[in-house]
Amino acid sequence: MDIRHNRPSPTKFWNWFNPVGRQTGGWAFILHRITALGLTFYLYLHLAVLGQLAKGPEGYDGFLALVRNPIAIAGELLVVAAGILHGLNGIRIILTTFGLSVTRQKQLFYVLMVIALVVILIFGSRMFTA
Amino acid sequence: MSINTQSVSAPRSGENTWLWLLKIVTGGLLVILLGIHLVVNHFMDEKGLLTYADVVAYYQNPIIPIMEISFLAAVVTHSLTGLRGIVLDLKPSRIFLRVFDVILVIAGVSVIVYGIWLVLVIVSKG
Repeated sequence: MDIRHNRPSPTKFWNWFNPVGRQTGGWAFILHRITALGLTFYLYLHLAVLGQLAKGPEGYDGFLALVRNPIAIAGELLVVAAGILHGLNGIRIILTTFGLSVTRQKQLFYVLMVIALVVILIFGSRMFTA
Repeated sequence: MSINTQSVSAPRSGENTWLWLLKIVTGGLLVILLGIHLVVNHFMDEKGLLTYADVVAYYQNPIIPIMEISFLAAVVTHSLTGLRGIVLDLKPSRIFLRVFDVILVIAGVSVIVYGIWLVLVIVSKG
């Protein structure tokens, strides 16, 4: 990717998600940024919802009864998947920070994403059958 | 292939090196803590933590509140330093960034205090 393409600018927001002309590193970037924004939104929603615990059994168990349906579980799996993808791609970022696997990061990215897919499938089957 | 500045992780221009390093370190911690969090919530026993009583019982082991508060502090720090990095990609003005920094610090401290309060409330119900 052209280095000028990555210069900070107020108008760059939609470019972050533009799939045109991306190579592996560009896709890793999109994946990391979308999951980052999604997980940040979920984190604060999650913390607010857990406030129900302070209200005792009625509040919390009532909320859980509300979300124990396939649509809510699919949403929860999406969050779990985002966490796994962000975390495993993050391992690659940490390694390159310390100069490790810099020239092999494309292969590393593919391996991590295969692991992510397997782990997501395990969580998915567990969440929908439990 | 030559190694250019884009193929390694490094601070953005204008990104404080210590904040950037904090983001990397909390990120590494979170891979471990989120891993534990997910396994406990989905795999620990047949049903996981699906009732109020289960959650209160789970928090009676003193390791759990300590781990959850560490997890909270790491995840809030990581999300807010990460958000700051994303905002830096939009080239904010100096004034905007200064105001945004104050908001981030207030938000981070408030959320961590709220989380600690909530953990203590849950522990006290046991």
